Amino acid sequence: MANLLKNHLARAGAFILAILALIATLAPWLAPYDPLAVNLPEALFPPSSVHWLGTDPLGRDVLSRLIYGTRISLVIGFIAVGVAVVIGSAIGVIAGFFGGWLDSLLMRLVDTMLSFPSIFLLLAIIAIVEPSIYTIMIVIGMTSWMGVARLVRAEVLSLKEREFVLAAKGLGASSSRIILKHLLPNAIGPVWVAATLGVGSAILTESILSYLGLGVQPPTPSWGNILNEGRIALGLAWWLTLIPGVCILVTVLSFNLLGEGLREWMHRPHN
Amino acid sequence: MVTYLIRRLIGLIPALAWITVISFAIIHLAPGKPTDAAGAFNPKASLEARQRLEKLYGLDRPIPVQYLDWLGRTLRLDFGRSFLDDRPVIEKIQERLPITLLINSVALILMLGLCIPLGVFAAVRPDSLWDRCTTVWVFLGYSIPSFWLALLCMAYFGVHLHWLPISGLYSLDHDWMGPIARMMDIAHHIILPIGVIVFVGLAGLSRYVRSSMVEVLQKDYIRTARAKGLSERRVLFHHGLRNALLSIITILGLSLPDLITGSVIMETVFSIPGMGRLFYDAVMARDYSVIMALVTIGAILTLFGNLLADIAYAYTDPRIRVGTALTEC
Repeated sequence: MANLLKNHLARAGAFILAILALIATLAPWLAPYDPLAVNLPEALFPPSSVHWLGTDPLGRDVLSRLIYGTRISLVIGFIAVGVAVVIGSAIGVIAGFFGGWLDSLLMRLVDTMLSFPSIFLLLAIIAIVEPSIYTIMIVIGMTSWMGVARLVRAEVLSLKEREFVLAAKGLGASSSRIILKHLLPNAIGPVWVAATLGVGSAILTESILSYLGLGVQPPTPSWGNILNEGRIALGLAWWLTLIPGVCILVTVLSFNLLGEGLREWMHRPHN
Repeated sequence: MVTYLIRRLIGLIPALAWITVISFAIIHLAPGKPTDAAGAFNPKASLEARQRLEKLYGLDRPIPVQYLDWLGRTLRLDFGRSFLDDRPVIEKIQERLPITLLINSVALILMLGLCIPLGVFAAVRPDSLWDRCTTVWVFLGYSIPSFWLALLCMAYFGVHLHWLPISGLYSLDHDWMGPIARMMDIAHHIILPIGVIVFVGLAGLSRYVRSSMVEVLQKDYIRTARAKGLSERRVLFHHGLRNALLSIITILGLSLPDLITGSVIMETVFSIPGMGRLFYDAVMARDYSVIMALVTIGAILTLFGNLLADIAYAYTDPRIRVGTALTEC
């Protein structure tokens, strides 16, 4: 029963994410207004039949900004995780395959990266590079690859003793061929769960950075910086605070449900 | 135990070395110099004055020398001066630390006090209504943007109901209050931030207690305790909970750095002048000496928190030190 329920939840998560992906793709056709069009006489209008979700302090249509914000959040989430998976797999496979001093050096690096309070590390790097959509994708990826590295390393350690890898080695395959053809494709399984959960937390991180003014820079809309603009009008314009937060919550929740479902599915006995 | 301790301490050295190298590298990758504001951007500053400034901050020497110099001073807790107002960094930290310590230790005590009953109730009756509610809460706690929850609480309890102040730590007339009124004033200001921190943190913690309790309750010695006719109460609290609580020690160790570094997000949203806010302001002002000091302190505290947790764990659970000693032979 509990299993079934969780599966339903995972399915619900996947369904919501599919809708969000559709919204992100079709943003130019779905948005009723130009998300950047400033219209000061209509500033801070509450939701109405003209502006379904009201307007912000510059009179821009909130619904249109949220729709374009979906695009930004999803793209940043996926690319940041992509960066993390690439760095993490590379470091994990090198540490696991070559072992020895290289392994301990790289794993100490992983421990160290994990010991920095994550928000400190993020903000410290952002203080150096100019915050923009592209830099924060890379910075979020660069500070969240450690889990993937540990997973891949553990997989590689057990894989490299298996017959098919030993056979490849016996046939004289080069290290790079063994890594690329035999180890990586087989080690990537458990990374899927971590990556799914990772997209959720990358989106959460992006919203925090954008809220702090260190992420997506205005006028480009993102759920986080709409919340930042809403803070000025807190108590005056509830729609600016309530709705973007619900978008973040629902999106991150969907990724978490899907990730947990995926984890359960992978741990089933016959899998 | 002593050998275990010594081995763990030696094990920290490479990680400490990495921490200092990474902290130092981050700052030196930065484009521009901290002296730019007073030097290059100031049309009145002559080349000579700029060089004098760079010499003052030691920026004219080779990078490895600067690193060793910085390392030596850091070991003596000398973090240099803030580029912003030229005050010693350590002084700024001392000013902010009590506030962060107060808020986070109250929050931690509340979380620890609440997570045990919440987790145990969920573990004793798996799949009950209570267990399901906490499961939903856990998913919410992991998915909710904490700054958004804080904003909602500010809007509702502060702006709408006028129950609580929405930001800062002191009322405008704080300085004219008596000592008791002052304390009440601060307490009033920290209710919301503490509430949000506890709500979000408690979700994961109670889940943690639940899973370790569920695990313990499946052990043979619990079956033995039940079989010899002990009351369910005694089985749960004397035999079950005591063993499940071992895992709480790990959490305590891992929370140590949060006590000191504070929450950048909460302190920024609520405008609380603590360590998190100090870091945020330093990032906004590119005040590198403060950034470097806080990043280094945060990382070192995390390492020692982990170490402390492991030591406490080994101390309370002899299987661990004996286990490691055996595998070594």
